[in-house]
This record gives sequence, C-alpha cells and structure tokens, in this order.
Amino acid sequence: MVARDKRSKDKDKKKKFKRFRKRRCRFTRMGIEFIDWKDVATLQRLCTGQGKILGRKRSGNTARFQRMLQRAIKRARYMGLMPYVGG
Amino acid sequence: MYPYEGMFLLDPVAHTADPEAVEKTVTSLIEKHGGKIKQANCWEERRLAYEIQGHRRGIYLLVYFEMPGDNVDAMRRETRIIENILRQLVIRLKWDIDTYLEKSKLYLEKVHEDQEGRRGERVPEGPAGTTPRPDVRATGGEEAAAG
Repeated sequence: MVARDKRSKDKDKKKKFKRFRKRRCRFTRMGIEFIDWKDVATLQRLCTGQGKILGRKRSGNTARFQRMLQRAIKRARYMGLMPYVGG
Repeated sequence: MYPYEGMFLLDPVAHTADPEAVEKTVTSLIEKHGGKIKQANCWEERRLAYEIQGHRRGIYLLVYFEMPGDNVDAMRRETRIIENILRQLVIRLKWDIDTYLEKSKLYLEKVHEDQEGRRGERVPEGPAGTTPRPDVRATGGEEAAAG
C-alpha cells in the first residue's frame, strides 16, 4: 500500500510539472510577428559574450523565430550595430 | 512602388560639420531615383561594433520610403560612390510603411514589457526616480552594442 501511494504521488508531481511548464520561445510568448533587426538589446541577449548566435537548444526558440533571429543578427552585424566576433 | 526601409551609416565628421547637407545627399539620392520619403530619422552618434572604413563612430540615418523596384539597385550602386555614406542596407518591407511602423511600435512595447517582467523577477528596479531606458531606435543610445 505504502509503495503504491508513493508511486501515485510521483505521478502527480510529473503531471503538475507538465501542466505548468512555460513556453520556451520568448518570441512566441510575447506574441510578436517579426524580429526587429534594429533592436540590438534583444538580439544581444540571444548571443554569447563572444558574439556567437545561441543555438535553439540554448535559447529555446521555435524554428521560425530562430530563422528570423538569425537574419536579424546578421543584418545588425553588417551595419556595425553588433560585433561579428568578440564583445 | 514598393515600401522600403533604408539605413545609411554616415560619416560622423562630415555630419557634425554640416548635418543638413549630409542628410540631404541621402534624401535627394532617394528622390532622384523616383522614391517618395515617408519618414526619416537620424540616430545619435554611436560607437560602431567594429571599424568601418577607418571609422570607429558613426551616425545612422533611418529612412522609410517607397520606390519602384527597378531603381533600387541603381540607387545602391550610387551610394558606394558618395564618400559620406559608409554603408547602407535597404530592405523591402512586408507591409506598407504605416502598418510596419505601427507593428514595430507594438513590437517595442511587447519587448519592453517582457524585459521589465524578467527584470522584476530577478533583480529589483533601480533607485526611485530614474527615468526608464530611452527608446533604442529613437536615440540609438544602446551603448552596449559597441561593447
């Protein structure tokens, strides 16, 4: 009996965790349509200190927004708003 | 006629000497190629993330305009000849200019909301009475970009 109770408690925990899991992609959560390449502050949050673009695993972005982000960062880099390499 | 967003990186030395003349070279260039300027705003001088044509600082001029698609290439070619324009980026917009400007306003609001929410979670706000961070686009004052 005791063992079964414990198991059911574990199940409850798992369910709770799943239910309250936040959406991982910040852009989807914000509900925006596009990523502005002039908004350097946001773009920089998605780069490493060395200026590399964070991968999807790290940032949690959806594929669609990762593509937009990639383009936005590259535009910002070209215009000298963000570094290609280094801080 | 298609809607475009053009950003021009201007020589800060020439710009401080005669801002109107330098800005006019850009606007007249667009008009010369059959473009209609809807909005043009100049950002403050800021440090570049890396050296461009020997310049460490630059001034950005952001122009929203409409232009026949065939003329864009010719205009871009001509910007390379003008010395005061260090670099340019012209992007065709998905929406017409007014809708885009509205959308980008909404975008900024949402991003700021998100950032403030996050800041509130982690770090307490700065001392009372400090003004909120200025609009990045209006002032171009995001110094962090330069590292």
